Amino acid sequence: MMLGKHTDMIARPRPRSRKWFRGEGWTALFFLLPGLIGIVLFLVLPILASIVLSFTNWQLLGSARFVGISNYVRLITTDPQFWTVLRNTLFFTVEYLVLNIIISLGLATWISSLKIGQRWFRVIFFLPTFTPLIAVAMVWMLIFTSGGLFDSLMASLSVPLAGVLNDRTLAMQAVVLTSIWAGVGYNTVLFNAALDMVPATYLEAARIDGATAWDRFWKIRLPLISPTLFFGTVMTAITSLQVFDQIYVMTKGGPGSSTATLGYAIYQRGFQNFQMGYASAIAWVMFALIMALTALQFWFQRKWVHYDA
Amino acid sequence: MKRSLIFVAALAASALAGIGARAQDAPVTLTWQMWGQPNDAELWQQLADLVTEQYPDIKVKLQLSGWADYWTRLPVLAASGEIADIVSMQSMRLPNFYSILAPLDDYVKSGDVKVADFETSIMSGLSQGGSLYALPYDVGPWMVFYNRDKFAAAGLKEPAKDWTFDDFKADAKALTKDGTFGYGTQAFDFIAGPVALGADYFNDDNEFDLTNAGFVDAFGKYADLTAEDKLSPVFASAADASAASGRFASGNVAMYIDGPWSLITGQANVNFKIGVAPLPRGSGPSRFITAGSGWGISATSQHKDAAFKALQVLTGPKAAEILGSAGRALPARLAQQTAWYDGAAKNVAGTRETLEYMFAHTTPFRINDKWNQFENLVMQYVPLALTGDSKPDVVLSDIQSQLP
Repeated sequence: MMLGKHTDMIARPRPRSRKWFRGEGWTALFFLLPGLIGIVLFLVLPILASIVLSFTNWQLLGSARFVGISNYVRLITTDPQFWTVLRNTLFFTVEYLVLNIIISLGLATWISSLKIGQRWFRVIFFLPTFTPLIAVAMVWMLIFTSGGLFDSLMASLSVPLAGVLNDRTLAMQAVVLTSIWAGVGYNTVLFNAALDMVPATYLEAARIDGATAWDRFWKIRLPLISPTLFFGTVMTAITSLQVFDQIYVMTKGGPGSSTATLGYAIYQRGFQNFQMGYASAIAWVMFALIMALTALQFWFQRKWVHYDA
Repeated sequence: MKRSLIFVAALAASALAGIGARAQDAPVTLTWQMWGQPNDAELWQQLADLVTEQYPDIKVKLQLSGWADYWTRLPVLAASGEIADIVSMQSMRLPNFYSILAPLDDYVKSGDVKVADFETSIMSGLSQGGSLYALPYDVGPWMVFYNRDKFAAAGLKEPAKDWTFDDFKADAKALTKDGTFGYGTQAFDFIAGPVALGADYFNDDNEFDLTNAGFVDAFGKYADLTAEDKLSPVFASAADASAASGRFASGNVAMYIDGPWSLITGQANVNFKIGVAPLPRGSGPSRFITAGSGWGISATSQHKDAAFKALQVLTGPKAAEILGSAGRALPARLAQQTAWYDGAAKNVAGTRETLEYMFAHTTPFRINDKWNQFENLVMQYVPLALTGDSKPDVVLSDIQSQLP
């Protein structure tokens, strides 16, 4: 039978996809297998399973029952927390994204203007990126804890600011600050590398034509690094919509529900309340949200990203 | 090799219906899932060896994991059919997990277990819907731990067994000075405390009813100690559930609420004398809730009869004495509690009298399958009542609205 198929293939003009799987194609597939099996087993299957789960009332123990779209209906209509959680997530994302991009771009520009020590500063700012976020959040939690370092610092400056993690509005700011500290280094290094790629001749030509440093930044360097800036913005937005570790360590969603985000809500519903079906539904809402916002950014990029450098 | 062959044979034999009883005579290896630190292993192994001593055909294999991991692993193991024969269970988690355990009533009726030997509140704590699912090894009520040196320095009389909330508050006031606090509040205080004051968080149908006037009032009393009178530091929503014990040990707070299970480690960490007192009562008589842990048999176990034999030894008088004198647990077996009083608690004033008083005044600890969720919400929302951000009734209705 194998033989028959083989001769058949030679007789006819070969379709393209078949051709790929001859010779090197199979070898490539073979070498891909270790990764591929892992991805299918631990990524693709669980993702598919979670779609199915989101239509059930599975409680981790016992058997699941198919409940149609009622998890989604409950989420949007009756869950008293959902809109708060969504609002918190978007609030965090917007504030963190804007601050992160501004600060990292500022740092990157500053580093690239340095005559000496560029490499050192890049390493210093990149350090938090390869520190585990849980550990970072742990340290910041101890700094912000009532009676901690932050409180005594504020007291010595006579600023009436204490116990920020117990305050509805300030708790989120503490989480944002921690996230900035941990996340700004990656974008800084990314943007710094892009800035260094801007051809010096362009800047020199502009300088001869009388462009100020301000003009050179806004009209030459920024447009030229815009693809990198876009990449940084999209990736940062995606990770900040998924924020979990900092919340888990620093506030557990509290006080009240002031720092409860989608990522934390999934954990809470799924692993503390054992509502696996419901948690899966929230996860898919989060996925849809991320997809939509990312698509929106791709649509907007036409207005400000220049690929024709 | 040979033993595993026998094990497989035993497994196959007991799996066949009808000859299950005969399979008991063949050697059996039971698995036992337990939580604890690695250095607890020796203690639990002693108990496992007791089983083999009494029943040479039964070997118990201990599977130890950390406390937090244990509860993550348990549902996963149960769902994948990898669960052990003997499963450890805590009373407050039973409503979520009883379905993976086999009811023990028939075994208890036909075995030598005397229900009356055990403290009653924990027997009901390990029951669900009228059926017993685990035999307890320890029990304890929430009570007030206090710093005796600080009481003496402030010239205060030590708490009476039936002290009232006003006495408690007056003492906390007298002890709050020089940057230290009279009381260190924690999330669970807002459950055990109001119950001791006579309030109920459930209605008659075992559903949460947090906004009833009695509970709002009692909850408010505890919240005001921090919000109004500043007698305690505020705990954070992400605080460790045992944060107050650290403050107590360092002398930052003079009183806090905990259970006898913390006494042995608590004593090792402090350089002052500890005293224990019942939770303060309201205008009515005292009443206290207790929690504890025990061991049950997995519903899918192939060796249920052998497992029950092992269970009787693990929760038997000799095992209780070992755990009690090692300070690991205040035995749920009343007769063996002496081992704990005379051993672990001998340097703590009033443990025997306090605990005997409290056991005489227990009230059923009512929980349902939303309990875990409720405790997490208390942790998350109560800080708002402590900072004065929200009134107690607002906090309670926020929590209530999230408990469908």
